[in-house]
Amino acid sequence: MTPLLEIRDYTLDFQTRAGPFRALDGVSLAVAPGEVLGLVGESGSGKTTLAMAVMRHLAGNARERGGSIRFDGRELIGIAPAEVRALRGRRIGMVFQNPATSLNPTLTLGRQITEVLERHRGLSPRAAATEAVDWLGRVELRNPAALMRRDPHQLSGGEKQRVVIAATFAVHPDLILFDEPTTALDVITGARILELFRRLRAETGVTGLYISHDLAVVSRIADRVAVLRHGRLLEQAPAATLFHAPQNDYTRRLIASVPKPEHRLVQDTPGAEKILEADHLGVAYWRPRLFGRQIFVGVHDVTLDVRAGEILGVVGESGSGKSTIARALTGLAHATGEIRLDGALVGRMGRAYRRAVQIIFQHPDSSLNPRQRIGEILARPLRLYGGSPREIPDLLAQVHLPAEYAHRWPHQLSGGEKQRVAIARAFAARPRLVICDEITAALDVSVQAAVIELLLDLRRQHGTAYLFITHDLNLVRQIAHRLAVMQHGELVDLLGIDDLGSGRENAYTRALMEASPAPVG
Amino acid sequence: MNDLLRRLLATRQGALGVVLLVLVAFCCIAGPWLAPYDAEQIDFLGRFAAPGTRHLLGADQLGRDVLSRLLTGARTTVPAALGATLLGTLAGAVAGTLSAYLGGHWDEAIMRTIDAVMALPGLLLALLVANTLGAGGLGAVLAVAVAFAPGMARITRSVALAVRRQEYVSAAIARGESGTYIVLREMLPNVVAPVIVETTIRVAFAVMLFATLSFLGLGAQPPAPEWGLMVSEGRRYLHQAPWLVVVPGVAIAITAIGFNLLGDGLRDALNPRDER
Amino acid sequence: MSARWLLRRLLLVFYTLLVVSILVFAITQVLPADAAVTLLGENASVEALAAVRSRLGLNDPVWLQFWHWIAGVAQGNLGVSMRTGQPVGPTMLIALSRSLLLAVCSIGLMLVVAVPLGVLAALRRGKAADLGVGLVSYLGVSVPEFVTATVVLVVLADRLQWLPATGYVPLTENFWDGVRHLVAPVLTVSIVLVAHVSRMVRSETADVLSSDYVAAARLKGLSGRVVLLRHVLRNALLPVVTVVALDVGYLLGGIIVVEEIFAIPGIGRQLLVAIENRDLPAMQAGALIMAATYAFANFLADLAYAFLDRRIRYE
Repeated sequence: MTPLLEIRDYTLDFQTRAGPFRALDGVSLAVAPGEVLGLVGESGSGKTTLAMAVMRHLAGNARERGGSIRFDGRELIGIAPAEVRALRGRRIGMVFQNPATSLNPTLTLGRQITEVLERHRGLSPRAAATEAVDWLGRVELRNPAALMRRDPHQLSGGEKQRVVIAATFAVHPDLILFDEPTTALDVITGARILELFRRLRAETGVTGLYISHDLAVVSRIADRVAVLRHGRLLEQAPAATLFHAPQNDYTRRLIASVPKPEHRLVQDTPGAEKILEADHLGVAYWRPRLFGRQIFVGVHDVTLDVRAGEILGVVGESGSGKSTIARALTGLAHATGEIRLDGALVGRMGRAYRRAVQIIFQHPDSSLNPRQRIGEILARPLRLYGGSPREIPDLLAQVHLPAEYAHRWPHQLSGGEKQRVAIARAFAARPRLVICDEITAALDVSVQAAVIELLLDLRRQHGTAYLFITHDLNLVRQIAHRLAVMQHGELVDLLGIDDLGSGRENAYTRALMEASPAPVG
Repeated sequence: MNDLLRRLLATRQGALGVVLLVLVAFCCIAGPWLAPYDAEQIDFLGRFAAPGTRHLLGADQLGRDVLSRLLTGARTTVPAALGATLLGTLAGAVAGTLSAYLGGHWDEAIMRTIDAVMALPGLLLALLVANTLGAGGLGAVLAVAVAFAPGMARITRSVALAVRRQEYVSAAIARGESGTYIVLREMLPNVVAPVIVETTIRVAFAVMLFATLSFLGLGAQPPAPEWGLMVSEGRRYLHQAPWLVVVPGVAIAITAIGFNLLGDGLRDALNPRDER
Repeated sequence: MSARWLLRRLLLVFYTLLVVSILVFAITQVLPADAAVTLLGENASVEALAAVRSRLGLNDPVWLQFWHWIAGVAQGNLGVSMRTGQPVGPTMLIALSRSLLLAVCSIGLMLVVAVPLGVLAALRRGKAADLGVGLVSYLGVSVPEFVTATVVLVVLADRLQWLPATGYVPLTENFWDGVRHLVAPVLTVSIVLVAHVSRMVRSETADVLSSDYVAAARLKGLSGRVVLLRHVLRNALLPVVTVVALDVGYLLGGIIVVEEIFAIPGIGRQLLVAIENRDLPAMQAGALIMAATYAFANFLADLAYAFLDRRIRYE
């Protein structure tokens, strides 16, 4: 069968101040009609650039250095702008990563669907509206007729992505490019979007190129998988083959980095003594108004404890209040209820408490002061907690960074390196409990695996306990002893890791588990 | 510092701004010595002399050399504008930081009041204050400072709030750092850069506002060679001697453009993430 | 938009006026001028001065004087001019109407020029058109009105003789002559505004152009014209409403200078006359009316914004 999309030896440079940068290097791949090809790569691999090359939507500094992109037997490189417009949307559709920014905030949802129907299928406004309502129903949105007049900001992220999907499928394109369509969504929402996609694919027989950094997702959706790294296509194979018998080294490492819940990284059992206890913790945020205030509940009535050397996982979707717990336990948010350290009630958080309980934040870019060198950043907690700046080289060595990094500025470090510095800063206090607030969420899987390994390493050396906050259930199942599940600001489940799947867990916990599939293989 | 200058000169606006301002600064420092005549030396025979070899930029209605007045006047206009801006920035920065630091209802009350004060056009506020303090240099400087303070307070507050939300500040709080340390060492260095940029651009406004006050008779008083006053006096003789208006007008514009360009250049140069 | 939101916004307008009246009253109270002397002249007898002081309530404590004044203002009585003996309220309002004509024409002209310039610059980023617009805006914000006004006068009125030099002719009296008299001041006021607003439009448009939803619109295969009109401009021009309203403050300041130079008997000129003569009631009334105009313009802009951008209504 002739492929619908065929890319051969495609090479592309970006012109930069420092000279040309090779973004894609001799990429060759083909997608047969009706097939879904998964394209996997970490950030900077060039996967989105490849999609944009197919859409003929390249940045001004992109230079195509050779190769060909053929769609339905026709060469796309060098075709006229009018032909490009006839192709886009009509024959090649695209679903984007972030539905919050890919919908126009000032147009009604209905208009954003009808405009493509009118353009590509030549429908009258009335017919387009009827068709749009029909499609909103087909993507399982409730009350589609009323939705037509709604604005994007009135919908949740998952609902918005459904609207984008409806607008894309409604035109009946031959090929759809999916650029990380579930990455910006919560786990359960993302899983439902994938289900929807599978159903629509069965109904329409559309061909797809599915781009993602997430091997687990791709393995469930794609017939074949291609692995891209630094602009080179390393290997492509049927999904099952790739996971069982990866040929390439990098692929093997990538597969190994994907958290597999049944593969425990921590075997020991923690001590029985409780380091930290939180009783009936509650946090309410408020925003001042000219008269009175507006109140939001962060968390409500949370009771939990962390034992010596224990890893307590806290999971939940965004807005569930899991980060608020971290803020309350470190004095960043005003909380009601009681906090005890080693059984003693903590009134004002004094130096002893602060030293014992440290925190690491999510965003490596904002957690280091851009105007302080790494050395200064590490010297401060050392001085504060009775250490000496002479320990900085040791501290850096502990997180596997060279000593000369002390003289560097944060912006000279990669995301993973910055997060290592943040870990070193927390360990400078020789804490007994470190709160990790989504610390790997902004990192690539391979970097994430290295950071987790580092954390476990440090725990072996110092016996530190972790309160590990994450939205990634598979990851936390590898390392946590116990699991706390948050939903809408409340603690809905608190159970030992072995009790997961035993039927003793809460219904919501089960839904989370089902929505977090491990990769095939 | 050298690094900053290098980065500044690497931007197109920054380089041009620095060149213009070096020129202006040179006039401020060496102006009176460079001036070929005394700024207030009257020469009735040479009234309205056109620009030429004797008077490079012409002479005014009293035969005073325009170039000499321009060079001498630089010392009045530019330092006054700088001083007024710094004063206004300082007052505004304190109010803005305080508002951001206090937060909650205090913040709301302070910011609403500042918004209200901003309902008075800056020039009008400056006019009222200058009128109350009495016409003259110092009154005008204070007037411009008062007119600038509310705007600077708003900017400082929004920058301070943005910095306050950064995780390195949270990290410092969680670490148990004192309020002074957090404000001075963690926040201030990150707040200062954008405020410096805004202040630089405002000097341009101050130069113009100061000249406008003089033009309206509430700034410098005759026979001072203040640039705005020179335009004001020259307007009556527009037909005979257009250079009396054009020359100081261009001087004001060059200074203002210089500060505007410098501000835009600094915005790029002060960004620590920008690798050049 | 909810009634609560509207009420809150109206309260802010009143708060603004209250703060401004306190401020203006305080500044003018500090003036080293004796209202009685201003009124009767230097040679008045001691008894006459004392009589006037007690009639004007000048011997009352400051807060009581403020109370009398603000109570009067609330009833629409802005006081009596010390210079002319006429009520200042009506005088100022007539003056304001002339200034508003100038202001509205200037904003209109500014929008017609600044919006296309800014959009053009954003579309041609880094090209000659962009640099040209950038240069014009640097010049515009760096030359004070009194210089621009003088140059406009010299070129258009003096050298080319296209326009009358100065003065004001009501449109109702002689429409074309009135328009001819308006051209030069409107041109002067617009230049600074064009410079500022075109810069804003450029940066807003550039932001929108690099947004995901504009990329999405292009990748949906919509035509360039539809993308520009329906997706780019709609979103880029919304914030400009607010910017224009904030610029009203600057505009009112600029009007003071322009009215003085072109001899237009608007509120700016009335204020300058009041300041020169230390006519306290006139100064207070003029400043308050200007601030009220600004607050009202911003209120209207907020309403317009909430109407155009549906996201606001539900906050």
